Amino acid sequence: MPAQTIQNTARRNRIMASIGILPVVLIVTCGLLALYEPRFLRSSNLINVLRNASFLSIISAGQMLVIIVGGFDISVGAIVALTSVSSALSIVWLADLGIESVAMIVALGCLLGLVPGILVGLANGFFVSVMKISPFMVTIGTMTIAAGIAGYVTGGTPIYDLPDLFTREIGRGSLFRLPYVVYAAAVVLGLLWYMQTQTRLGRYFYAVGGNEKAARLSGLNTRKYIWAAYVLSALLAGIVGLFLTARVGSGEATLGSNLMLESISVAVIGGVALKGGVGRIPMVALSALFLSVLSNGMSLIRIDSKYHIIIIGIVIVIAVAAESYRESRRAGHG
Amino acid sequence: MAEHMIEPDAALASGHPAHKAGETLIELRDLDKSYGAFKALQGMQFELRAGEVHVLFGENGAGKSTLIQIICGVQGFDSGSYRLFNEPVSVMTPALAHDKGVSIVFQEFSLIPEMTVEENLFLGHEMVQGMRLAKTEMRRKVHAVLDRLGFALDPRARVRTLRRAHQQMVEIAKALLWDCRVLILDEPTASLTDQEAAQLFDIIEQLRADGLGIVYVSHRMPEISRLADRVTVLRDGKYIDTVQMAETSEKELVQLMTGRTFDEFFPQITRSAGDTLMQFEGVTLQRGMAHDLSFKVRRGEVLGFAGLAGCGKSEVLRAAFGLEALASGEITCGGTRLDRHSPRKALGNRICYFPSDRATEGLAMSQNLISNSTVAALDDNRFSWRGMLLKRPAERSFTQDIVEKLKIRTPGLNARADQLSGGNKQKLMIARGLSREFDIFLFDEPTVGVDIQAKLEIYDVIKTLTEAGKAVVIASSELAEVMHMSHRVIVMREGAIVGELDGDEVTEQALLSHFFAHEEPAAQTAGEVN
Amino acid sequence: MADQTQSTPLDLRAIAPHLLLPLAIIGVVVFFAALQPAMISGGNVVNIMKQSSLFFFVAAAQLVVIITRGFDLSVGANVSLVSVVSSMVMTSLLPGLGVEIGVFAGVCTGLAIGAALGAINGVLVAYARINPFVVTLATMSIFTGIATTISGGFPIFNLPEGFSFALNQMTVLLLPIPLIIAGAVAWGLHVMLTRTVHGRVLYVLGDSNEVAHVGGRRVREHLFFAYVTSGILAAIAGLLMTAQTGSGEPNLGTSLVLSSIAAAVIGGASLRGGTGTISAPIYGALLITCLSIGMNLQQINGSLQPVVIGAILIFGAALDAYRTRGR
Repeated sequence: MPAQTIQNTARRNRIMASIGILPVVLIVTCGLLALYEPRFLRSSNLINVLRNASFLSIISAGQMLVIIVGGFDISVGAIVALTSVSSALSIVWLADLGIESVAMIVALGCLLGLVPGILVGLANGFFVSVMKISPFMVTIGTMTIAAGIAGYVTGGTPIYDLPDLFTREIGRGSLFRLPYVVYAAAVVLGLLWYMQTQTRLGRYFYAVGGNEKAARLSGLNTRKYIWAAYVLSALLAGIVGLFLTARVGSGEATLGSNLMLESISVAVIGGVALKGGVGRIPMVALSALFLSVLSNGMSLIRIDSKYHIIIIGIVIVIAVAAESYRESRRAGHG
Repeated sequence: MAEHMIEPDAALASGHPAHKAGETLIELRDLDKSYGAFKALQGMQFELRAGEVHVLFGENGAGKSTLIQIICGVQGFDSGSYRLFNEPVSVMTPALAHDKGVSIVFQEFSLIPEMTVEENLFLGHEMVQGMRLAKTEMRRKVHAVLDRLGFALDPRARVRTLRRAHQQMVEIAKALLWDCRVLILDEPTASLTDQEAAQLFDIIEQLRADGLGIVYVSHRMPEISRLADRVTVLRDGKYIDTVQMAETSEKELVQLMTGRTFDEFFPQITRSAGDTLMQFEGVTLQRGMAHDLSFKVRRGEVLGFAGLAGCGKSEVLRAAFGLEALASGEITCGGTRLDRHSPRKALGNRICYFPSDRATEGLAMSQNLISNSTVAALDDNRFSWRGMLLKRPAERSFTQDIVEKLKIRTPGLNARADQLSGGNKQKLMIARGLSREFDIFLFDEPTVGVDIQAKLEIYDVIKTLTEAGKAVVIASSELAEVMHMSHRVIVMREGAIVGELDGDEVTEQALLSHFFAHEEPAAQTAGEVN
Repeated sequence: MADQTQSTPLDLRAIAPHLLLPLAIIGVVVFFAALQPAMISGGNVVNIMKQSSLFFFVAAAQLVVIITRGFDLSVGANVSLVSVVSSMVMTSLLPGLGVEIGVFAGVCTGLAIGAALGAINGVLVAYARINPFVVTLATMSIFTGIATTISGGFPIFNLPEGFSFALNQMTVLLLPIPLIIAGAVAWGLHVMLTRTVHGRVLYVLGDSNEVAHVGGRRVREHLFFAYVTSGILAAIAGLLMTAQTGSGEPNLGTSLVLSSIAAAVIGGASLRGGTGTISAPIYGALLITCLSIGMNLQQINGSLQPVVIGAILIFGAALDAYRTRGR
């Protein structure tokens, strides 16, 4: 094949690969919904969709990082719960200490609240990268432990008495009609996108997941990057935990129980390959938006909520089957 | 080749102090390295001077790879001394080696398939401005190095999408992207076409003139004769000798490498060619690795397939065993046409195949010897009732037999396959050929990664099979092996059969002249050698 | 000579894992018995036998696919769906056809559904070649959704007494019936894994699909049947658990997914595929059951129990990583 043709094919493949069918599916879904159910387009509804998508995309971005380095993070949901409990407890504790500035209490409480989650991330990273234990087993283990601790500390009752600044402002406040979490998601995704495309760290994540041995031969400290991915994932799950706690107004040990599955679903639908080394932030964000639109739409057109998981399950199968079909065609031609 | 001649590169001299030709760059003394009980290197001596190409020469498994891995810090060593640029080295890492100016082109690819050419070239050593990747600058540097090497590669293409030869070029470019004083090449031409290889030789000669020390691992005679200044010979992890290429003949080198002469090394196999067992007619493979193949496989003789790596010879064997889909043509076996061919069908037609890739296709590494020796014969009444229930005592006694017959060294019958050494693994795989009645034996690279003793035993198996009237087909990249083992040799180039040599016609010169196309300049290179 | 030097340490290493788990289980029992003698009272021992028998089936369901380097995240959903459907069949057939036929039909339907769900996973994994993690993640959602939908989210009561008796309360020679069934199934599985061609191929393809393919085996068929087997085992668990609770529960199996994998891996099956014998789910189920029953007796806070299980899980996985190091 002449070099020119190779280049053209390569370019076409690149463009195809970067767009994919997800945006088309998203637009078609939105269009159909808008035609069938005009309430979908109401701004209050759209804001709702956007808020859910924000929660989902932050936590899925962390999941994506871990999958890129060839792992899994099953503990994200439990970290959300743990962070909810620990941040609520630290805010209550700081308030009891007699600190006057509420802003100070909330800020310090949130920072302290993130600590347990990050510890879980550190533990995940240690067991996976240094001890070489299967990430699946490690994160199941830490998930059970984290959820157990959260449940034990609260004794099953939510922690109330959080300051208004936290619950009203952060939880329900908005700027230009958009909830704060949307901005938070934008910042987080923006930073991660910058990291993935513009920094060494981003490249090293791909390299480690793409071929760990080759990465090591190229002089990378692969353990460090695997570890970093788990810590980042835990941190992002913790941030989601903070916003969700503020949103529900109390520290709850059951918060985020669905998020583990949803974050993996988002990653898979967003084209993050489970074998590692592949996955991009914009696709994950689109995929989170798509799932949020889908479940919102199903509620709007009054599909019983019990059917939702069936439909989402089917969507995952279709997305992955399409991916594996594409992969096999590519292998056939390659 | 004039357009590929390189201007002396300023970058090469700028980063590190220039070395006078003849100055010692690397010095290894009495180096030992073992993995558990296995001694990979014993009393190794090696010295590399600036401005020379120093070839490491030895069989597979002789310790060449271990040696270069120690030099570039992928492996540590147990005892002995390692001096790099006249400074003693205690701990070496890949990153440190790179910083000091030791670059390596690995035989196993060190590329990330999902990343682009450019990203791979800079992996681990990206250029940055502050936090940010300096993408324009890197692009400029990539173009500079690709132009210098004369490689037509798109920096933005994903490595996964490249052909093997192009991936090899990326490896080479990756090593030469940075200033280096020592360049290590581990069988760099394994998957290059002759033209690409010739280009690489020009580059190597230029780099030598620039004062680099080059370690070149190869067992291809023509390359060694062309490039080498000195040759260090290894055998079974031991240092044998270092010789000046100019004063040493090819025959002497091979004798040093194998510890014996060619005539003793390969067995004399009596030829008694019988009826045709299998026939390819106009076969073209779906994946396009080989096309228009027509040949016959006959009883009582060894048919060899020769050619450079990637020429399609191993795909021919795979097609015969039903592992490659056909686009057109037909394969007949014993008079019947093999439609919808599959390994299962092939085994049913008494065809046996030994893959070159033991680790993924040959042996189930965490299963025991018994599982591995009978896996292809589980349908046979010998080992099961109607293909359902296993006859375990029969399996056990069969495995016991082959362990004794093939002299497989193992802790026991229940040992896992990955507890065996390379040669014993290969023998275990070959045991499969004895598990049921076969007529045709297909060997893909029968002695890859195998020590000399095992090699001899495998040749002996091939001799026994052939003389018992079976048909044997060998595909091998080791020229001497195909040449001395086969009665008839088919030479392939770029997926097509380019020549068939019979009996006395099988000579090194005749084979090599078919390896390379006549109109291309590299053919002259090959000719000069002989 | 080389054989001599190699064989001694290898034998030790081969024996150690076989002793470790029984010792650990005995240790756990002795520990809790020292704290609370009720641990080894007759009633509690029967309880341990029953609970671990139920748990054995989901762990065994997991083992069969773990051997093939797979997963089955849908076992829990399978248990729930089997529970709901078989209960519905029984309650609807009961008035017209009587207890015997009703129960028999319920059990058969349950097993058939388990096989069908396994077949769905099997088709997607073996023939569509999709990653088993994703496949069973998705089918888990789907099966759970179906279970909640058809039951309306509520338990199904009024199961025939005979069902509970036959599959839970009955004793044969003083042994509870779940233990008898578990023993029979364990023996059957053991024979399948070690003495049949199918079992042999499962281990080989768990190591490498290509080796099995080059060895002339129909890889997809064998893989498919592994998932069907797993589905049937999960269905047995579903039926026995339904008999124990006395009602069809749409969320009966929710908590079983992760602990079933945990049990199989602690028992010695490697997630890298190709290893694991019938002793894995037996030991795993016994260990986890003894621990949680012991902790219940000690009245350890229900939320802290998972913390202990999680720690043991990581420990078991670390042990597995240690055992397979250097491969």
